[in-house]
Formats: sequence, C-alpha cells, structure tokens
Amino acid sequence: MFASIDDVIERFARLKYIANRTIATVVYLAARLGKPILVEGPAGVGKTELAKVLAGALDRELIRLQCYEGLDEAKALYEWEYAKQLLYTQILKDKISEVVGGARSLREAVDRIAREDDVFFSDRFILPRPLLRAITSEAPCVLLIDEIDKSDSEFEAFLLELLSDFQVSVPELGTLRARQVPLVVLTSNNAREMSDALKRRCLHLYIDFPDRAHELEIVKLKVPGVSERLAAEVVAVVQRIRKLDLKKVPSVSETLDWARALMLLNVESLDHQLVTDTLATILKYEGDIRKAQQELKAHVELQRAKLKGAQPASDKDLLN
Amino acid sequence: MDAKVVEFSNLLRRNGVRVSLAESMEACRALALTGLGERETVRAALRATMIKRGVDLPTYEQLFDLYFSGLGEAIAATTEATRAALGLEAQAFQELLEELRRWLAEQGIELSELARALLAADTGSLERLLRDAAERARLGDIQQGFQEGRFAHAVAAALGMGGLAAELERLAAALAGGGAPPALRAYVERRLQDLGDLVKAMVRAQLDRQDVSRRERQRLDSLAEKSFFYLTEEEIRRMQEAVTRLAQRLRNVISIRRRRARRGRFDSSATLRRNLQYGGVPFRVVFDRKRKDRPQVMVLCDVSDSVRNVSRFMLQFMYSLQDLYAKVRSYIFVAELGEITALFAERDINAAIESALRGELINVYAHSDFGRAFRMFHRDHLAAVNKRTTVIVLGDARNNYNLPHEWVLKDIKQRAKQVIWLNPENRMTWGFGDSEMDRYAPYCTVVEECRNLNQLYRVIDRLVTA
Repeated sequence: MFASIDDVIERFARLKYIANRTIATVVYLAARLGKPILVEGPAGVGKTELAKVLAGALDRELIRLQCYEGLDEAKALYEWEYAKQLLYTQILKDKISEVVGGARSLREAVDRIAREDDVFFSDRFILPRPLLRAITSEAPCVLLIDEIDKSDSEFEAFLLELLSDFQVSVPELGTLRARQVPLVVLTSNNAREMSDALKRRCLHLYIDFPDRAHELEIVKLKVPGVSERLAAEVVAVVQRIRKLDLKKVPSVSETLDWARALMLLNVESLDHQLVTDTLATILKYEGDIRKAQQELKAHVELQRAKLKGAQPASDKDLLN
Repeated sequence: MDAKVVEFSNLLRRNGVRVSLAESMEACRALALTGLGERETVRAALRATMIKRGVDLPTYEQLFDLYFSGLGEAIAATTEATRAALGLEAQAFQELLEELRRWLAEQGIELSELARALLAADTGSLERLLRDAAERARLGDIQQGFQEGRFAHAVAAALGMGGLAAELERLAAALAGGGAPPALRAYVERRLQDLGDLVKAMVRAQLDRQDVSRRERQRLDSLAEKSFFYLTEEEIRRMQEAVTRLAQRLRNVISIRRRRARRGRFDSSATLRRNLQYGGVPFRVVFDRKRKDRPQVMVLCDVSDSVRNVSRFMLQFMYSLQDLYAKVRSYIFVAELGEITALFAERDINAAIESALRGELINVYAHSDFGRAFRMFHRDHLAAVNKRTTVIVLGDARNNYNLPHEWVLKDIKQRAKQVIWLNPENRMTWGFGDSEMDRYAPYCTVVEECRNLNQLYRVIDRLVTA
C-alpha cells in the first residue's frame, strides 16, 4: 500500500508514468479509503494506463473488463457451464439411475435428485467472468472496468452493489463477499453521463491533456534517445494543433507515436516539408490535416525566422 | 476541520452543486488522510470526493479559492502592510513586537484576548476570534450588497471593537506617558484601523461566496428567455455555448431512448439454432433485435435579413442534428433554395455557418419568397420525403406579397410523417401585413413560436421524443 502521496508519484515514475499531484492524491485516497476511482477525460490521455500502472506499482494482478453496448451479467460476472453440466449428466447417467433406482414414485425420484442438485450448481460448474474473479481472488487485485460509458444503464445499476459493498448475489450460491477488497478503476470517455448513484460511490478524477512541460517530460521518458530539441519541437507543434478546432485532437499516445516515427527517420529538427509528410500519424481526418497544415506553415516559418534572427536572412533584408 | 468541510459543502449546495451527505463524510475522511499541509492536495482531495460533474468544476474552483483563501492569509497580509508602512525590516518588526511585550509586562498591563492577539500579530488567534464573531453575527445570512455595512457593524460589535478602541486609546496614552518609543505608539494606533479593514474584507468575501453562481445562474436563465432578436455580440457567443450544450444533452437522451427500445420479441428459430450445442434444450433464449428507427429530418431554414439572428442558431442546431441523426438534409432559402448538407458534413460548424450566411450558396440579399423556394423544393427534393421524414421549416412567413404556393406544403404533408413550422415572430403579429402564416398553418402538423432558447428547447425535445 502507498505510504504517502509522494510515494505514489515516485512508484508511478518508476513505471514510467508521470502522475501530477492531483492524480497522485486521488490514487492515494482511493487506495487508503478503498473507494473506486472514476476516471474521465478525452481519449488517449492515459486513463487505462493509470490502472495498469496502479496494478504494477502495487504488484497486484490486473483484471480487466471491457464494456460495450449489450454487455450483460453473464459476460461480466459469471455463467453456468451448461455444456459441462450436460456432459456430466450424460457420463454419470448410471450413477444417477442408481440414486433414483429404488424410488417407488416419480415424486420420490425427483426428491432424491433435488437432494443432489447442489452438485450441479457449485463452484465446479461456474465460469467466473472478470467481476467474479476480482471478488473471489485470494490476493488483492486491481479491477479495471474500461469505458463504462459504452455499457447500458442497466449494467451500470448492477455495478452499484459491487462498488459499494464489494459483494455480488448469485441466486444459486447466495451472496459472495470479496475476500480481498479490489482496487477498482472505472474509465469513461463521456459518451454519456454516468448516473449520480454511480458517481457518488466513486472518487472522481478528471484527466485532461497535459501542459507543455508535462508532455515534454512524458515524451522524453517514453521515447528513450529522443533529442531534447526534437522532443521540444514535437510537443510545441502538438500543443498548438490541439488549440485548433478539429474533429479529433491528437492525444498523448499520438504525440509519442509521432516522436517515435521521427526518430526512425533520423530527424533532428522539424521543417515544414517533414511536418506535412508525417502529419498523418497524429491527425486522422483529411479536413483536420488540411487545417493543421495551414496553421503550421506559419508556425514553422516563424521558428525559422527566430533561429536566423541573429544574422539577416538575405542581402535584401540588409538593404531594408 | 470537519465543521469546515460541512460548511463548505453547504456553500456548494447553495451554489447549485449537488453534494450528498455521504460525499461530505468521504471528504472528511479524505482530509484526515492527506492532512491540511498543502493547499493543492486539499483542493484535489475535496474535488475528488465532492465534485462528480464536469459542469460543477468552475464553480468549485471559484468557491474553493474564496472559501479557503482564507482569512489567515488576509490577516498576514495586513500585518505585512503595517510593517511596510512603519518602514521596518522583518527583523526590526519582530524586535518591536518583543519590545511591546516587554513593556506591557513591566507596566503590569493586562490586555483583553482580542487586543493581545491583535498587537502580537498572532494570526491564528486573530482568525479564530474573527470567525467566532462572524458566526455570532450570523454573517452567513448575508444576501445582498446593500447589507454589507450592516453586517460589518454586527461583526464588529460581536468582536467587541468598541471596547477594543477604548482599550487601545488608554494604552496609547500610557505609552505616551511611559516614555515608550514613538514607533510603538504608531503601531498600536495603526492596528485598530487594520482590524476594521479585516472585518470589512471578511464581510465582502462572504458576500462574494453567496453570489458566485447565483449570478451565473441568473445570467443563463435570463439568456434562455431573451428573444433572439435583441442579443448583443457577447450574448450571441454565450448563446452558442448554450446551444451546443443543449445538443449534447439531447444526444444523451436519444442514446438512452434508443437503447431502451432495443430488445424485441422472442425469436424461435434463432433460439433453436443457438441451443443445438446443448442438445436442443433451450438454455439460451434469443430475442429479436428491434429495428432501429432512424428518423429522417429535413430542415428548411429562412436566412433572409429579417430572421438573420435566429437562423444562426437554427443553423447551429441543424449542424448538431446532422451529427446526431444519420439522415438529415439541410436547406437554406431566401428567394431560392440551396442544400447545405454537404457543406455541413465537410466543414466545421463556424466555417459552414459563415459561408452559408455569406451567400456562397444562394443569394441571401434577395427578398424572401417562400412560394418560390417551396416550389423549388417540390421540384427537386420531394422524392426524398417519405413517411418517416420530419420536415421542419424555420421562417417568419413574410412573403413580400409574392404568391404563397401553399399547395406545396400540402403535398409535403401528405407524404411526410410531420411538418413542423417554427416562427421566430411573436404569435400576435402572425397574419398581419405580408405574413402568410395563416395560409401555411393548416398544412403543418405543428406551428410553434420560437423566439428564444427555452422555446427552441421545447420544440426540439418534442421532436426527439416523437
């Protein structure tokens, strides 16, 4: 368990995740209070990564549940293994007829079978899905419920019992309590507003795009060997592009992709042509690319002018 | 500290942020863990435990600053100002305080608690005394700016400022008589003024707290009721935010409604097929998926001069609709009709609206001719109208005495699911002058006045529900 907020920052940094004070505070509180964290924010700012790193930092297993429209209890919690049950009844036919053997009436036979039916509804035939695994796990784990906004509101309601009491009800087996309270991280892209009941049970964390210094730090950490200058230029350009009105703004992971791509191309410094050629790594829409190109042309030329600022660009400037 | 958290959550609630009891308890437990040492940590801890909606964040940040920027800092700042006014370095100032303490001890003068805290520049005790006084004077009840003076008096009285003034006067006289250095006397005289300033500042800060989002809320409410025709530049900008938010909310509503309708009837053949692996025993039941009802919307928007302000918002809404529904076709018209569906799909919202209103598609400076525009629609686009289509017309129906051609609308209505006409003019003026609203109205399913944001919202809500 984390000793302090600084301990969170430190352990996350060791796993190459730069957590600012806000993130670290929320993580620390969640770990100490045993509350789930609901992480919201634009795509690609490291929401899912947070859960992974959290599991790594605490040296716990990460159990992941990816949500999607139509996800139901059977896929998330548990399912009876019908096929296995059928197979067993087939194989054990003789044994069953032995049990039923001496019965004089149908009623008695059914009673005898009923006495044995918990054999078929036991742990043996249950197929645990992520939620049940997280609850029954012997060692404490981290449970990641990814993109909860994609699931239906019925599923959200079902999660409430789990998130507040860390227990679930299986009709045939009764209520299962968590042996070890798992640390739960829910992520949401805000495709829809989550219900107040769910929010009340969680600590809320909003992660936004990092500022320039912060993003630069991330690039240098995640792309080893990148030159200081290239990293600074890449981050400057991306930060600038994010200010434009685009269909999809570049995320942090795309900044990293771009930096890696430029490294592969052995680039030391950006120029206009290069930016134009590689812009597709960070922008995914034709219209966005066109818009960004116009904006960046001006930007790159300004940079160049600044660099040359010491000596006049040409004789003409001297004359003027 | 718990009391402060409770008070702070009350403050949040008064400002329209929902904070449950469980959440403020959580906040107390969180603060017990993090401690109060660091401001940013406290801010993060309270935010994580109490603020769950993005829209509440600005209010929270503002209130946090107001509430926790605290009195302590203000007191320290006042002391600092006094030190600077006396022209003393920090070191010399400490010596001065020390000297005063010694002198008091020598003379055997016993001061009241307030005077002691004030003269020793003891920030902690002074803050506590001020807070107590504020509570006794019920400073929390302050509502309006004009009450400021009254509450300042009440706090001062609760604090015992009258007694303090007399006490300090006696002290100053004693200092003068006892041959104390003049700096000491100047200091004592100044402190009374300082305390008065602090009380006023505290009352003002309290007033600010009450006000933060009441002002904000009033602003938005009045905006929603204000007619589109009388908006200032600034209001237009804010209105755009409001329309975008409205569209966002609709999007959520729609996705929920669609999902509710998803499950359909029992599908026997699919059930049989699915359960072959279990020897035909129906372990899993399969239901039909209901066919998603994809509403089709066709919007015809008048962009002539007379309704320019409204059409801007309507265009904005059409843009949002186009994102929302798979099949939306948008048209603008003045005397002729132009389709802007493609324009909306290609460009971002502002560029699209700008170019639509600039007249790239049709001549926007012509005189409105609804009849002609309708005939063009009839000729080119009527085939696209079917029984699932909702046709929305936005316009004032002021036809400049041209032929109204209402038969077009009749034809459209026969084919479409519904025809909605939104008129940005006051209902009282319909049918007067060159307004042809009365001729068109019989062929519309719904005719609504749509002069402000609230009316627009009601109309759109009905559209989505239908």
